[in-house]
Amino acid sequence: MQSILDAISLGGTYALAALGLGLVFGVLRLVNFAHAELITISAYIMVVTNDLPLILSFLLAALASTLLAIVTELTVYRRLRGTGPAIMLIASFGLSVGLQKSYELIFGALPRSAAVAPWMTGSVEIANLNMTISSLVTVALTIVILIAMGYLVDYTTLGLQLRAASSDFKTARLLGVRSNRLITSSFAISGVLAAFVGFIIVVENPQVEPMFGLNITILALVGIVIGGISSLRGCALGGFIVGFILSLLNTFLGNARVYAYSYLFLAVVVILLVRPGGILSKRNEMERV
Amino acid sequence: MSLLKVENLSAGYGKVDVLFGISFSLLAGKSLGIVGPNGVGKSTLLKTIAGEIAPKSGSISLQGKNIAGKKPEDIVRAGLSLVPEGRQIFSGLTVTENLMLGLTGRKDKSTSKIALEQVRQLFPVLTSHAGHQAGMLSGGQQQQLAISRALLSDPKVLLLDEPSLGLAPTVIMDVFGKLKEIIANKTAVVIVEQRAHLVTSFADETIVIRDGQIQAKLTPEDAENEELLRKAYFGLGA
Repeated sequence: MQSILDAISLGGTYALAALGLGLVFGVLRLVNFAHAELITISAYIMVVTNDLPLILSFLLAALASTLLAIVTELTVYRRLRGTGPAIMLIASFGLSVGLQKSYELIFGALPRSAAVAPWMTGSVEIANLNMTISSLVTVALTIVILIAMGYLVDYTTLGLQLRAASSDFKTARLLGVRSNRLITSSFAISGVLAAFVGFIIVVENPQVEPMFGLNITILALVGIVIGGISSLRGCALGGFIVGFILSLLNTFLGNARVYAYSYLFLAVVVILLVRPGGILSKRNEMERV
Repeated sequence: MSLLKVENLSAGYGKVDVLFGISFSLLAGKSLGIVGPNGVGKSTLLKTIAGEIAPKSGSISLQGKNIAGKKPEDIVRAGLSLVPEGRQIFSGLTVTENLMLGLTGRKDKSTSKIALEQVRQLFPVLTSHAGHQAGMLSGGQQQQLAISRALLSDPKVLLLDEPSLGLAPTVIMDVFGKLKEIIANKTAVVIVEQRAHLVTSFADETIVIRDGQIQAKLTPEDAENEELLRKAYFGLGA
């Protein structure tokens, strides 16, 4: 039961990371590798503000990752818009590496650590089953965020504009959707999602170093490809599947867990062979991928 | 004063020039047809006016204000709306959601409900199919949705790029009938069409574009003169 809960918990975390990436991809057709650094900065802030009440520490972390997301949009991506996807992609690589080096200068190359929310590392017994609090909190938090995101996307004007822009940004603009505002909003929301991801990971792994967010971001990218990069639901589902499978593989492979990534990517290949555009693929998915 | 005035407009894609020195003007409640063979720059002209493409030179003014080179989202708020070629409805969204998006560029949000009611009266199919996915509508219904969506921004000028594309003849007559009602409400309409006879007989004036330039101007009476139309359209001798 704990293994399943852990898998759901990790799947949920990856779903949030994938959703952040998918939001930006939807409006800008950009795979934002610097999303990793948004996760990292939130984790750093949570560690260095560990003495503060948890909620305040998290709010500062969310503020930092959101501001950083907006600043990267305004200073880098907005200037490069229209230059083509290859240049934008390379810029996101460059930004990612540049931010990692900046973190190294600011926080040092060695990991910074602090026990963030230590009460979450304990366990509770529910119906004769022993479960870790962190997994329970992560699952609950993920459900709440995914419901909130679902509401935002399905029932608000911003969500409607995001869905329209993801489908056809040119036509959305012809109808009056303000491109700059929508793109900046997407980056801001992805920054908030990155803060939640940073929080969840730093509770389990309080050793924060400059490449802290890279692993989950790369795997979330795999998730959005297998889920269906053209749909936010597909992104979240793909992220969840990757996290879920990876967690189960790590649990059940025993000493062979070093091959967990091999099995994961084998599953990814099989999924893509069957559904080249991703599980929730749409009409134009091939062109978009 | 002209509602829409295009003067000496040149535009293209990168280093490729497509339009050269296009000029025309349009009054409120009037219609202008634009015809010409494939690839002569008709759609490019509409895209340039609507802000999708930046003009290389020349001016475009709407109600006396320059809109050349402005963003599409600002131009729609200034009072000009484009129904793009192929309708470009959001097929994954419902009819109602498509209409709600049409309200995005509307300046006066207090009259949104009235505007929605008006387009639903003009196109009753939008009410009966309100909750349906827009992609499930027929071609004619999608065209009606695309026109309604554009009307919801309260445009003074409505641009339509090939509204008859892929539609059955009876549906085309339906759509053009609705356009007459829209023009009667003082909205100026610019229609790009391949069907020269249809648009020439419909519009108050029709310009023929070939090689990126205006080659002829036609009146509704000219629609009956096959030879004149052929000559204007293809540049062939009469």
